[in-house]
Amino acid sequence: MSDRPHPPRVADIGVPSEVLSPVDLQALVPLPPPYDGIDARTIWKELSAERRTEVDASLDGVSALSLARPADGDGERRQLEALAAGLVRLLGRDDNWAFLQPLLLSLEHCTHCQTCADACPLFVGSGGNEVYRPTYRSDVVRRLLARYGPGGNPIRAALAGRVELNWTTLARLAELAYRCTLCRRCMQSCPIGVDNGLIARELRKLLSQELGIAPTDLHAKGSEQQLAVGSSTGMSPAALRDVVEFIDEETSERVGFKVSTPWDREGADVLLLHNAGEFLSWPENPGAFAVIMQQAGISWTLSSELVGYDAVNYGLWYDDAQFARVATRQAEIARRLKVRKVVIGECGHAHKALAVVADRILGPDAVPRESFAPFLAAIVGSGALRLDPARNDFPVTLHDPCNLARGLGIVEAPRRVLRAVAPRFREMTPHGVDNYCCGGGSGFAIMSPNNFAAWRTLVAGRMKFRQVLEAFADEPGPDVPKYLCAPCSNCKGQFRELLRAYGAWERSRLTYGGLVELVVNAMTDVRPGYLEWEPH
Amino acid sequence: MNLVALWCYLTLAAFAAGCVLKALRYAAAPMHLRWELYPLPAGSGGFGGSYFEEVDWWLRPQRRSRLAELRVIAAEVFTLETVRAHNRPLWLPSLAFHWGLYLLFALGAALLGAGVLRAAGAPVTAVLDGGVLLSAWGAAGLGLATLGALGLLARRTLEPRLRRASAPADFVHLVLLLAVFAASWGSWLGADRHYAGAAAFAAALASFSRAPGMSAWTAAQVVLLGLFLAYLPWSHMAHFFTKYFTWHSVRWDDLPADRRHAASVRRTLMLPAGWSAPHVRRGGGRTWGDVVGGGEGEKR
Repeated sequence: MSDRPHPPRVADIGVPSEVLSPVDLQALVPLPPPYDGIDARTIWKELSAERRTEVDASLDGVSALSLARPADGDGERRQLEALAAGLVRLLGRDDNWAFLQPLLLSLEHCTHCQTCADACPLFVGSGGNEVYRPTYRSDVVRRLLARYGPGGNPIRAALAGRVELNWTTLARLAELAYRCTLCRRCMQSCPIGVDNGLIARELRKLLSQELGIAPTDLHAKGSEQQLAVGSSTGMSPAALRDVVEFIDEETSERVGFKVSTPWDREGADVLLLHNAGEFLSWPENPGAFAVIMQQAGISWTLSSELVGYDAVNYGLWYDDAQFARVATRQAEIARRLKVRKVVIGECGHAHKALAVVADRILGPDAVPRESFAPFLAAIVGSGALRLDPARNDFPVTLHDPCNLARGLGIVEAPRRVLRAVAPRFREMTPHGVDNYCCGGGSGFAIMSPNNFAAWRTLVAGRMKFRQVLEAFADEPGPDVPKYLCAPCSNCKGQFRELLRAYGAWERSRLTYGGLVELVVNAMTDVRPGYLEWEPH
Repeated sequence: MNLVALWCYLTLAAFAAGCVLKALRYAAAPMHLRWELYPLPAGSGGFGGSYFEEVDWWLRPQRRSRLAELRVIAAEVFTLETVRAHNRPLWLPSLAFHWGLYLLFALGAALLGAGVLRAAGAPVTAVLDGGVLLSAWGAAGLGLATLGALGLLARRTLEPRLRRASAPADFVHLVLLLAVFAASWGSWLGADRHYAGAAAFAAALASFSRAPGMSAWTAAQVVLLGLFLAYLPWSHMAHFFTKYFTWHSVRWDDLPADRRHAASVRRTLMLPAGWSAPHVRRGGGRTWGDVVGGGEGEKR
């Protein structure tokens, strides 16, 4: 990475300018042929001059939050006072008991050695844009805390470094909270254990819980909608049952026998919890789950209660209140259904939310939560399904969703399945707990205001896309169909955009999908061709 | 007791108190939600060291190994493994710096320990009274620490990316340490090469007896070192002991919820939630329990 002409310093965040550190399309990490010839400008979307007057994009020319400058000085002052109050709450034992200890540890011990910098796919993928450096955002927060946080004073502020608390700082810092996918690869490389991902997450929390600033797709259309109508997709229980009935019919037709999804069966062994986006965007995934459950003789059910049919919990990424509300409702539904366990479908963040982060809120008596991965590996390993791996005679690689691999340590289980059903499976480099984020993590995959989707495709997903192409470097052309296995709804959403933007179907015959689809495609009692090779 | 000795007592007490207070601050923090990061050392599962790799994981015995944790931490402390793996240009200066500090702190602890033992009437080897061995020990520690600190300062000053990402405190720490090392070299070269004076001073400190006279270099060394020690727990350099919390209590804390956690959560749900955004306050609740229970979400 070459140095840019005038890279911004941390203190520059509060210095008004048109754009502090624009995305440099020439500096992006190069892609292998034939993708090296793609002009990034054909994917990039510049904000119009008019839009720039409406929303703040002065960090990097991108707007994830559509943040508008308050109409007058009073409005600005109120927001700045709220930010200062939020900084105090962030370090309060009452207000932030949930993450106080890890947050303090990460705020107080960074030595700025920059060991984390090259671990960050955004920083590296962007060609070293200074504001994407994992410590940049954290240092703005540290400097503000040293001056305005509890115990803040001029000596601490001088040692931490200067930063001005003005509306420019607030707007850029708010955007900066959404230039990190919370993949936590930086923490993995930190010799001290500092977690810049957590600091970004806590900053998002401050903005949401104190200033009411959050991406519309995560909050208003996301967790609020989920709590109000049952799902972040907007699907009501009645609509869901219609959709699943349709999926059952389609699946039955595809596999050649009757498949039916059980609803609200009290005392079932398994409550299956899907990301509801699957029902609408990738119906072959819940369809494949239904086939496997049925053919393996599993006692299972879906729930049609509000929140009980959507595994997502966007609060994980930005808001403790929303997080706890969703998680406790999901757990309560499982308890009422008297199921033995909840199996979380192919949705990475739902795993992290319900199995890990909510664990101590739900307590030891809650219904246990299990990942689909070991569940599926056990079914495949038991011989309950008759499988012919030759049906999957095409190159397959696996994207390890961050929340599954780094978040739950699930690395081997999906590979046990792939070894049984995909004879031409190959690894990406790096993989497992060292994987790169798809670029859609922490909600990015569902956020597309202004030009954010173009940024996500070009910058956030750059390293992953390169890695996927390299995994198939021995068979790069369109003559060989290739399958990118991504067992996570948000990751699939990101791959859909990436493959589309770069024309990967036309150039490489590259498609993507989940893990269960590969299993069903290999089942001998299923009509051949469950996977449909077509551009998504 | 002279002023230098008094300074020593005060700064050593400040160092100890600082470490204890800071450790207590973290240890007494409310129970946090799980935020572990894989892989964990050992664990019960496969590649990622996770019990989540297993079906019905809650029915299986959980295997944890303090020994495996210690192995990882030892590699971090003695070889700076993650710096070696992810930041090779900084590894050698950082390794020299840390090993130099280990040797110097070990030397200081040995001299003080000898003083304490002697004051208690226990026999102490004459090697710790000063001599060639101590001289070599001190020179090795000082040499490595000085070279390392100079290397780190050079990189931080000359490497534009590192310079931009540095805080003023990062330079202050290195300069303060280099000042300590400079005074220590002055003492080693000009006054107390065999650490006989240092040993006598440590013995006097340990027995609360009158400290012997010392050179200006040695006095400067003691004063600067005391200043550094008193400041150390309140700087990011406190990672030498807070690493226990960052790694053991956060990164590797995969304990499933138990009765103790449940009791803690019950208490925290009674805590006031002061956040101001309307969706948090929905329903008028004042405690975290109210916040979690209140909120049907707004229909769009």
